[in-house]
Amino acid sequence: MSNNGRDQALIERCQRGDRPALEEVVRLYEKPVFNAAYRIMGNPDDAADITQAVFMKAFERLGQYDPKYKFFSWIYRIAVNESINQLKRGKKQQPLDDTEVADTRGPEATAQAGDLSREIQDGLMELKEDYRTVVVLRHFSECSYRQIGEILQIPEKTVKSRLYSARQMMKESLEARGVY
Amino acid sequence: MISERTLELINADIDGELDPAGQAELEAVLESSSEARATKAELLKLTSLMDSLPAQHPPAGLESQIVNKIKLPSKKASFFNSGWFATFQPATAGMAFAAGLLLAVGVYEMSSDRSVSDQTASMVGTMIAGHSDSPGFLKNDMILQGDGFSGTISLRENAGVYMLNFDLDSKTGTEVEVGLDETGYAFGGFAEIQGSADQVVESVSMSGGTLRVVNRGHQQFAVFLRDNRAGKPAQAGTISIDFDQL
Repeated sequence: MSNNGRDQALIERCQRGDRPALEEVVRLYEKPVFNAAYRIMGNPDDAADITQAVFMKAFERLGQYDPKYKFFSWIYRIAVNESINQLKRGKKQQPLDDTEVADTRGPEATAQAGDLSREIQDGLMELKEDYRTVVVLRHFSECSYRQIGEILQIPEKTVKSRLYSARQMMKESLEARGVY
Repeated sequence: MISERTLELINADIDGELDPAGQAELEAVLESSSEARATKAELLKLTSLMDSLPAQHPPAGLESQIVNKIKLPSKKASFFNSGWFATFQPATAGMAFAAGLLLAVGVYEMSSDRSVSDQTASMVGTMIAGHSDSPGFLKNDMILQGDGFSGTISLRENAGVYMLNFDLDSKTGTEVEVGLDETGYAFGGFAEIQGSADQVVESVSMSGGTLRVVNRGHQQFAVFLRDNRAGKPAQAGTISIDFDQL
């Protein structure tokens, strides 16, 4: 999901004031950051605000970035923290409206997938933030246990236990809604 | 009721995180337990549902909005006072003048390892000791070359007036900051030398020892410097010139 050598080279160029490198970093990570924020927050407007805030913070703190860690772990950590802080600040949590987000599928498929997406998102939103974050990173950001541990700065054992519990809760929630 | 261990094996298997030993252990359990098989099927269904959801596209324009808001560290170049300014100290400068004479011998290279830091990696330049036998002689030239940005900066002296001449060509616009704080010189004026209607210096502002010029397109302008030391010996220092591509 990331190419650390490429990322390090881009970041070094950014640190020297190279704007094309900045554009490349934003191009590479805008969508993953947006998607993670979208699933944690539950609505696209907040996800867009958070995505912008994440990049602003990341580049403001570029001097604090330690290259011995992977850049993607660092930016995901900022994204998760920013999302959770936003939730704690009591920002609105609207039900997911997939029509607000660009989608290239046909109308029927979009409608069906939209229903399913809403149901899954509702299930996610019922999880406590710690559990939701692990599910989002595993299933929507495709991170491994080790990567999730790095991003959240928790042991892999904790990642597993949160993920397994979260899945059980999600299963029960979706069963209760008749999703399956 | 299946065991915690079996649940762990099933989850790890679904996530592709099971090692061969765990794989063998799980296969043995699945063979003997219909409950374990059912649990695995349910979990697979759940995870497949989640994994099947397509990634969402960020709103159009968000990427450029982000890029435009981020300010990167400036590409920085500096002229070191010890060589070229000290060469032209008035007689009252005393020791500074003498030191300057020593340093003024020869050619000052602005190579990448000496020119300030890695931030100047895309810039090359040569500082050349001046020849004081003609008015308006060349003092220092620096050639700048970056992405979408090129030009020269030169120092000239004529009849005791020092000028920093900028000849810049920037596709996207550049903010140039000239800092004189450490030099003992102050800004004495600004002159726009050349520019068409669509290639103009967009703004000029001065605050303390710093001058900011926003420039777009091909533009030439000059910054005049005046001696602000009130008869005190010159201090070794640096004129800093920062470039920020907008």
